[in-house]
Parts: sequence; C-alpha cells; structure tokens
Amino acid sequence: MDQAPGSTPTPLTPAPTPPPIWQRPVSRRTVLATAAGGAGAAALAALWRGGSLAQVLNRVQGLTHTYEGVFSSERTRVAHLLRRAGFGASPQELDRLTGMGTAAATNALLNYQQTPNQQLEASLPGFDPTVTSNGGRQASALQAWWLTRMVGTARPLEEKMTLFWHGLLTSGLDKSGPGQLYQQNQLFRRTAMGNFDDLLKAVSKDPAMMVYLDTETNRNGKPNENYARELMELFTTGIGHYSEDDVRESARAFTGWTLGRGKQRDALTSTFVARYHDEGVKTFMGKTGTFTGDDIVDMLVPLRATAERLTTRLFSYFAYPNPEPEIVQHLADVFQKNGYNVGAVVKEILTMDAFYSPKAYRALVKSPTEYVAQTLRAVGATSVSAPAVAATGQMGQVLFYPPNVAGWPAGASWINSSTLLTRINFAAGVAQKAAPASTFKGLPGLIDTFIDGNVTPSTRDALTQAATGTGQIPVTLMYFVLATPEYQLN
Amino acid sequence: MFSRRDFLKQGLLPVFAGSAVPSVFANGLAASAADSPNTAPSNRVLVLVQLAGGNDGLNTVIPFQDATYHDARPTLRQDQGVLTLNNQLGLHPNLKALKAQWDAGQLAVVQGVGYPSPNLSHFASMSVWETANVKGGFGDGWLGRYLNYLDQVGESPNHTLEGVSAGSLVPPEMRSKTPVTALQSLRNFRLQKVNEHGTMVDVENPLMQFYGGFSKAGPAPYAAILDTTLQEALAASHGLQATDASYVAKATYPANSPIANSLKLVAETIVSGLGVRVAHVTLGGFDNHAREKPVHDKLLLDLDQALGAFMADMQGHGLADRILVMTWSEFGRRVNENGSAGTDHGTAAPMFLLGAPVKGGLYGEAPSLQSLDNGNLKFTTDFRSVYASVLQGYLNAPASDLLGGTFETLPLLKS
Repeated sequence: MDQAPGSTPTPLTPAPTPPPIWQRPVSRRTVLATAAGGAGAAALAALWRGGSLAQVLNRVQGLTHTYEGVFSSERTRVAHLLRRAGFGASPQELDRLTGMGTAAATNALLNYQQTPNQQLEASLPGFDPTVTSNGGRQASALQAWWLTRMVGTARPLEEKMTLFWHGLLTSGLDKSGPGQLYQQNQLFRRTAMGNFDDLLKAVSKDPAMMVYLDTETNRNGKPNENYARELMELFTTGIGHYSEDDVRESARAFTGWTLGRGKQRDALTSTFVARYHDEGVKTFMGKTGTFTGDDIVDMLVPLRATAERLTTRLFSYFAYPNPEPEIVQHLADVFQKNGYNVGAVVKEILTMDAFYSPKAYRALVKSPTEYVAQTLRAVGATSVSAPAVAATGQMGQVLFYPPNVAGWPAGASWINSSTLLTRINFAAGVAQKAAPASTFKGLPGLIDTFIDGNVTPSTRDALTQAATGTGQIPVTLMYFVLATPEYQLN
Repeated sequence: MFSRRDFLKQGLLPVFAGSAVPSVFANGLAASAADSPNTAPSNRVLVLVQLAGGNDGLNTVIPFQDATYHDARPTLRQDQGVLTLNNQLGLHPNLKALKAQWDAGQLAVVQGVGYPSPNLSHFASMSVWETANVKGGFGDGWLGRYLNYLDQVGESPNHTLEGVSAGSLVPPEMRSKTPVTALQSLRNFRLQKVNEHGTMVDVENPLMQFYGGFSKAGPAPYAAILDTTLQEALAASHGLQATDASYVAKATYPANSPIANSLKLVAETIVSGLGVRVAHVTLGGFDNHAREKPVHDKLLLDLDQALGAFMADMQGHGLADRILVMTWSEFGRRVNENGSAGTDHGTAAPMFLLGAPVKGGLYGEAPSLQSLDNGNLKFTTDFRSVYASVLQGYLNAPASDLLGGTFETLPLLKS
C-alpha cells in the first residue's frame, strides 16, 4: 500500500512510511458501518433494500474499512488481479503487467487465447492418458503435470477457470482413472470460458464424469439416479428447486450414453447406444416429453436458480464470499443476457468495482493449490517437485481427489492447526531452496512481491529487526514473509 | 488474567514442560501403566467412525430370512455366510471382528436409525447428522458443542487435543469455537526449524508476533482465526513432543488400509496420554450406485479389520474400558437395487456401538421392508436418541442442552 505504482521498493528502516490504513482517522463511513453492524442484521438489511447496483457498490466500498484505500496503488490492483485471476506473479511479471495498467492487464488475462503458451507446453512433464497400468504413478504424474501448468502458464486465467470447474463439476481418482481425468481437465481448459449449457452437455458425456457419477451404467429400464441428482443439487439449481420425481425422471432421460472401447471402465471415449436409451415419455419440472439428457440440461440452464447459483459461486471464487443479493442479480442478468456465457460473467466480475473494493482485499484464504503454486511461481520455479505436490494434500487439497462430489469447502476450512503448520513448514522448504539464488531486493522486495508491500506494522518491525539484527539472512526472511498471516490470504 | 498467548510467550502453558511429562497428560499414562480400568468420565474416549457416502444398511445388518429382501436385491443379496445375530438378522460375512464383539457382549446394533422427513442429498443429510439438527446448516457440530462444554466446565486442560480427527481437515461435527486438532502424524506435527547457513533460527516468537499483530491491527477477514490457529498449532505441537513417544501397537493393523492407519493414529494419540476425549475417523466410498458388491464387501472388510485391530490394541494397552466406538453414515440405501447392480440414496440404517462400555444386543425396531416411503425404509429410532444416550450415559454431559431438545435414551451402555 505504500509503494507507488511501478516504483523501486525503498529501503525499509530509514524511510518514513505513511500511516497504515488501520491507523488512519476513522471516517464517517466507518462510523456508519459500525453503527449498522451494531444494530444487527436488520439494520444492515434495511440499508441494502431497494438500492441500485451502483449504490450497492458504493456501500460495499464503504462498509469495510480495514483495507480502505488499499487499491489506490496500481501495483496492488494488478497484484490482486493476478492472485485472483491466476496464480500470482514473479516480480518481473508484476512489473510488466503493472506497467500495462490494470485495464490492459485485465484484457490480456481475459483474452488468453491470444497469448502463446508454447514455452509451457514444451517444458511440461509428459503424461500419456492411454497408460492404464500403474495407477498410483499415473495419478502422481497427473497432479505434477497440472501443478506445473499453474506455476508456469502464460495464461493464468485459463488454469484458474480449469480449477474452478474441477471444484464444481467434480470427478475424482477414487473412481475415475488418471487418463480419464486428464481428458476431463483438458475439456475444462478448452471450454473454460464458454457457454455453460455446452459445458454441461459435454461433461454429461465425459468418461471421467460417467464413471464418477455412474452414468456409464445408466440404462433403459434400469435408471441410475446419481448423476441426475448431483446435476441439479450441485451443478445447476441447488437443493430446493426440484423434487425426488424430477431426479427419477431425469435419470431416465440421461440413459443411452455409455463408455466406448468395449465399455471398459478406463475407456477414454463415450458413445451413444440407442437401445440403452429410454425413449419413453418423462415428466420433468412440469414439462412432458421424450426427453434426452441434453434436453434436461436445456431446461436446467435457463432457470434463474441456476444463474444465481453459478454466478454466486464465480463471484465467491474471484472476489469475496456471500455476495450481496444485488450483485448476484446483476451477474445472473449478465449470464442470461449473454446466452449463458461464463466468460461474460468472469469479465464482468473482474472489472466491477466490488472486485477492487476494500471488502475484496485479502477476503479469501489461499487454497493449498494457490499457496503452493503462487509461491513457486513467484520464486521462478520451472518444475514442481513431488514433495510440493504432496504438500498440497497435507494442506487439505489433493488435486483430482476432491473429498466428495461437492468439491472442496473453501475459506476457514482450509485453516486448522495441522494445515497451518504444513503451510509454514512448506515455506521453510521453499526458502531453504530458493532464497540463496533469488533476486529479490532484500526485505522490501520480498514484501512487495508476496504481500503487496502491505504488512502489519508490528510484522514489519519484527522483519526489519530480523533483517538488521543478523545481517543478510535471505532464507529466514523469505521464510518469514511466506509464513505471515497476510500471505495465507488471497 | 493471563491469556493463552501470555502463557505461550512465557512458556507457562503446561504443554511447554519440555522433556518431563506434564501433569495434564498423566491420566492416560497412569491408567495405561497401572493397567487398571479407570472409567471415570474424564478418562473416557468416544471414537466416531464416519462411513461417508451412505452405507448400505440392509447389506450390513442383513434380514436374511426376509423374502422381500431377497426379491429386492436379486444381484446384491448376501445369502451366503451371514454371521447370524438371531434367526432373522445377521452381519455381513466380512464383519468377523464385529461378530466377535457381539459374542463378547460388546456390540450394540441400533436398527432403523434416521430422522423425520429424510433428505436424500449427501450434504444436506450429513449436516443433519453433524449438527444434530434436522434443519442441517452450518452451525456448530454436536461434538463441537460437547468439546465446548468441556472447555466451559474446565475439563479441557490442553485446549487443543481433547478433540482430534485423523486427516487434514476438521470434520463439521467437531466444529465449534473450541479448537480441534486434525492429525496426519504425531511425529510430523511440529514447526520445522529454519537453517540459516548452519545457524538454527528461532521462528516461534516472530511467528507469534506476526499473527498476534495482524489480528490486533484491525478487523480483517480471517485475522482472528489465523492467530488462534497458530497458537493452537504451537500448543499442540509442544504437547505432542512432550509426550511419551514410545507407543508400540499391541495388535497388527492391516497394511495399505487408510482406515486402519487412521485408527492406529487415534490409538497412538490415546495411548500417548494426550487427553483426547473425542476422536474422528472417516472411511469413504460407500456411495455405490453401480457395481456395489465388490466395493462394499471390501469396505466392510477394511472397516472390520481396522476396528478389530484397534480394539485389540486398546485391550493390549489396558485401555479397553475407556473406549467407545460408534459408526454413522448420512443415510442408508434404497431397498430395491437399481439396474446398475448398485443402490441409490436411501434413508434409515443401523448404527454400531462397540467396546467394553457397551451393553451388547439389538436396539430399536427393524424397519419393515414392506411398508416403505417412496421405496425407502421408514426410520424407527431417531439418531439423536443415540447421541443423547452416549452423551448422557457415557460422556456424562447434559444431552438435552447439547442437542437442543430432549430425546429418549436407549440403555446401550453399562452404567
């Protein structure tokens, strides 16, 4: 917060620092916000009622105060953007994008199709999806392959959206094969910013999903409810918008698709077999017809509940949890007016004021994947070691192995004594390896790269003391910065 | 008043006692060394085993004489080798250790457990069981409330290890403001030292300063939870390092079995005398909509062998009188198997309670296979009755307060 955009970090101790945001005089808005909080939820609800989106956004800006003014720095805006829409940045990358300015940097992130990524593709560890033996080694290779992509990609939003879909339209190694999950991952990457109905139709026929939620066995006369239920409960409308009869009837509609290549469970293709499909009349959500699975998707995607649920999830992923109803309604409108295009919603989120409101700053907990990938990306790692892959698991997130079909719970559930120790110990390992060769410009450079130069005064004091007390101790300083509470947040 | 931070800073918290075993850990070791049963409530441990995904109750406690069962399960029925409990019911053939517990009078089977207006969503139903609230939601878990109660009545000397779960995340039923420790290994639960060109750097005090300063600086999201979590992590790691690390299993746990590894970790935690009161382990994979039989058979085999080893280990350490194990799952499965040789989501299912404190036998009423609700069993025992029985009869805690209502208790436990 105390770095001018693009400026060289200044030495810490002698330079007078402006008062940190939390020590600035309390503003009238802060007082109002506190009063509203004190009066409880009713007062707050009254404050929201009937406001236009612009008014709401003003209130979002005003209601949180700890980080007020933090986004006046262009460098902080870009760093925030890169953390949320990607996996952080090296100092050089942050310099370059800050130089472009927030608007241009956002456009570059969004239009990633135009950014060549050959350097990454050339450097990736090989992964052959057709290998079906040696499942354990294949699974580890797959995890390393994806984490390497996150660390090295020139198209960070592409990987970030792929991770979003993996957490929403889940499949996992507990049932699906590594090769199938590789293919699903590539499907998510290809359609990451496309139309939601197209993605759902493709996922319904995706071998990894068909194994994970049993559509591969869903047959005429022998319906299997698993996929139909989760499609509604988790992927589209959410609970409360469908009946048990809707589950049973739509399961019949999804019959017909099965795995290809001799129907082996590790098949990488799927195929439609007419005699497996239930051609009978189904009644779904009050409509009657000889529906197929695609018809069910076509009925679910336009529902307002689907729009609200998906956009809430996207906003919570990129900006902050529990968005205001007005924001959800606005984003649901964007989704529906743009033919259920996900890219349009993502673009809207990344460019709306709420995304750069104090409420959004450090409002998310870094997921284990983000913690590991951001750290390695910032120190310029070009490969990902097996211990780094294992560390994400010990922090609570095994890629391609969500705890269940609901994906990973986010936020506070990432933080417990065990996972926090693992994070801090991971920081020790990285610092031990990366610090001696690093080009960070001392403590200010480290703080600038990892925590926007925005650090609690007492932490800054302690770090400064560590830096000056014992002379040059790059390992310890890098470790400490990676271990700060500020860096656990996103 | 000293805060916990002050204690930590000054090294006054008992868990900092270094090589000597602090008094707060003495209970477990004393009981273990003397090999004398001590069933005072403060020494009792509840081990919760979650069967995640919805266990097929009808293929776990099997109504093998019921023609309806045979008709409903043309490919999935278990008609060979059922371990009979009486002339109607038998355990799945792979539940041999549980059958031995039954024969020893130490297995209670509560039949038809569920709740009114059952929800067939995994997550909605899990949250009902976890919160002991039929509305579900994200409130405190029922065991979290129990741990919080211990804290309030001053029975929580460690503040971090009364509740432990095996794995990387804390399960929702242990959620409350009272900390719970997720354990992946006792040995690795510690802060790594940082080696700065051969010098080992003190990292603890600076870290405490960072996290404390951040939480005091202003009302920022997650600042408080990060601070308390760091303190919990340091306290727990010191506690773990201060204990007798000489645990040797007195039973052979099966290899390559995650549930066995989890229970072994729980055993180590209990034997090490860390003051654990509630432990949680999870066995997942029960959501078998297709090709259920081989998967379910294997899961029950793993469960049974792991539980058998765990109970023998506790017995070997003279701790059997202090251990109650209880299994639960978010729901059972549909009575009729589906066309994929699997079963879809269902409702009521049996629960197991095992261990020396249990009065073995069948409890509750077996649900009718004829009188169904949309193809699903009608529950006969409310799961909160089982919780109330355990809270009141075993943990000596005010069940009605903790469950937000009074539920009929079952005589599952020796008094």
